[in-house]
Amino acid sequence: MPEQLEIRCPKLGNQVTFAYCLREGGDIPCPRTIKCWHSYFPVEAYLREKLASDDWKRCFNQKPKEKILTLVELIEAAKKQKQTVK
Amino acid sequence: MAFLLCKRAMGFSPWFFFNWKGENIMKQTKVFLNESEMPRQWYNIVADLPTPMSPPLHPGTGKPVGPDDLAPVFPMNLIEQEVSTERWIDIPEPVLDKLCLWRPSPLYRARNFEKLLDAPVKIYYKNEGVSPPGSHKPNTAVAQAYYNKVFGIKRLSTETGAGQWGSALSMACQMFGLECRVFMVKISYEQKPYRRLMMMTWGADCIPSPSNITQAGRKILEEYPDSPGSLGMAISEAIEDAVGDKDARYSLGSVLNHVLLHQTIIGLEAQKQLEKIGDYPDIVMGCAGGGSNFAGLCLPFARDKIHGKQISIVATEPTSCPTMTRGPFAYDFGDTAMTTPLLPMYTLGHDFVPAPIHAGGLRYHGMAPILSHLLKEKIIEARALDQIETFTAGINWARTEGFIPAPETNHAIAAVVQEAQKAKEEGKEKTILFNWSGHGIVDLAAYDAFLSGKLKKYELPEEELQKALESIAGYPKP
Repeated sequence: MPEQLEIRCPKLGNQVTFAYCLREGGDIPCPRTIKCWHSYFPVEAYLREKLASDDWKRCFNQKPKEKILTLVELIEAAKKQKQTVK
Repeated sequence: MAFLLCKRAMGFSPWFFFNWKGENIMKQTKVFLNESEMPRQWYNIVADLPTPMSPPLHPGTGKPVGPDDLAPVFPMNLIEQEVSTERWIDIPEPVLDKLCLWRPSPLYRARNFEKLLDAPVKIYYKNEGVSPPGSHKPNTAVAQAYYNKVFGIKRLSTETGAGQWGSALSMACQMFGLECRVFMVKISYEQKPYRRLMMMTWGADCIPSPSNITQAGRKILEEYPDSPGSLGMAISEAIEDAVGDKDARYSLGSVLNHVLLHQTIIGLEAQKQLEKIGDYPDIVMGCAGGGSNFAGLCLPFARDKIHGKQISIVATEPTSCPTMTRGPFAYDFGDTAMTTPLLPMYTLGHDFVPAPIHAGGLRYHGMAPILSHLLKEKIIEARALDQIETFTAGINWARTEGFIPAPETNHAIAAVVQEAQKAKEEGKEKTILFNWSGHGIVDLAAYDAFLSGKLKKYELPEEELQKALESIAGYPKP
């Protein structure tokens, strides 16, 4: 089964199995999964069958954020977290 | 009877060999700069952009992200660099002192690889694998550690995947007497002991992420106790760790403007080295994940292009190339702003995918905004390459030039091969320069996967293929 196939993850910089890509986002796959795997097997069709429609949308139809905005969001979340702990 | 005589040649090192007539019988392979010739300033391309970059907008306020928004995680001296429009920024002497441990890096001529390719090309490469951790990453790690130190920071926190960035920052922090905490994605922590050990050797605290020491990590572990982690999770932990300690800040190894700025020393050195031998490239190439090594080499040349030089600048991205014949679709975003859902680009039965998938690499998240902007302005171009093609290129490189490249570097080498083949077909002479961004000595597991056939394409059983095709039967076809 494709879960055991290996590829080099361009985000991490080491080998991962397809099984890792499927759970990279916690309960959803890595948004790069189709891009990384589509020349190895029909990954998009495979995921269409495996994922619920909402999960598909959460994973593949989201507009990717710029890094700086991700940082700002994480900073805000961390500041709130810090205040809560106090 | 010929005998060999060693002579020191201006600009070349260490020695060149001449016969008894004084004729040079050994071709030059390396171009060195003396330490005194090392660039004293970084180059900031923001000053030369034909059109200004749009500032990122704060998701909460809708206003441009400002210094205060970033102050909890970066020292103000680095934030000033992040937003600077000054063309040249002085490299502080203490930073130069540390960079001198391995810089200036040599510029090589890849004569053996040229011979293998048998094409009318000259191939030069900047060897960034000579740094202690073996990649270009310390160029910015050293600078960032220094600026944090002079700002009064005691500890840096960061995330790392397989450990290339983490090891560079660990070394840099040690150099400036800072503590370093690295959240390493758990799957990499378990699979990549050598990078982890490098970090620990340089005195860093390397923690598998998700961890129990941050709220973000604990939340993930509660939900998914056996989580292998992800880069996103590790970033969350590193940011939380930095924000929670007034003496700590966060450090990022790619994407941001100041990171790219620090890397421009690569291209500035290359320009001096090429000038010494009276050459200039037709094509400049590098692999681009977040974009820092590519930017480091290409930005000074992009400046030349903006001012009229005829030069191609090509970023290669690690991705798959859709060469399969049985698959139903290739997907890409429908617009450059990435606002549309992924769109089907071809269907089963079509021979090959159209251009968008190949030009799409730099449009994806995680890429440096400066590079996305240069792509939009057509100052640089992007190319996506298949992993099998890149490893084949890397193996051929190792067997001719000796050095084993990092798997990411293989993408640049594979693109060089493509350019050489094109030059051969067109019968045109080309000079190619690329960034050999790092060695692959601690990435041999990736070579093992390739050599043992684990990276081969997977033949989905016919029954499974048909089942899969049925699942997308209702989706629109182009």
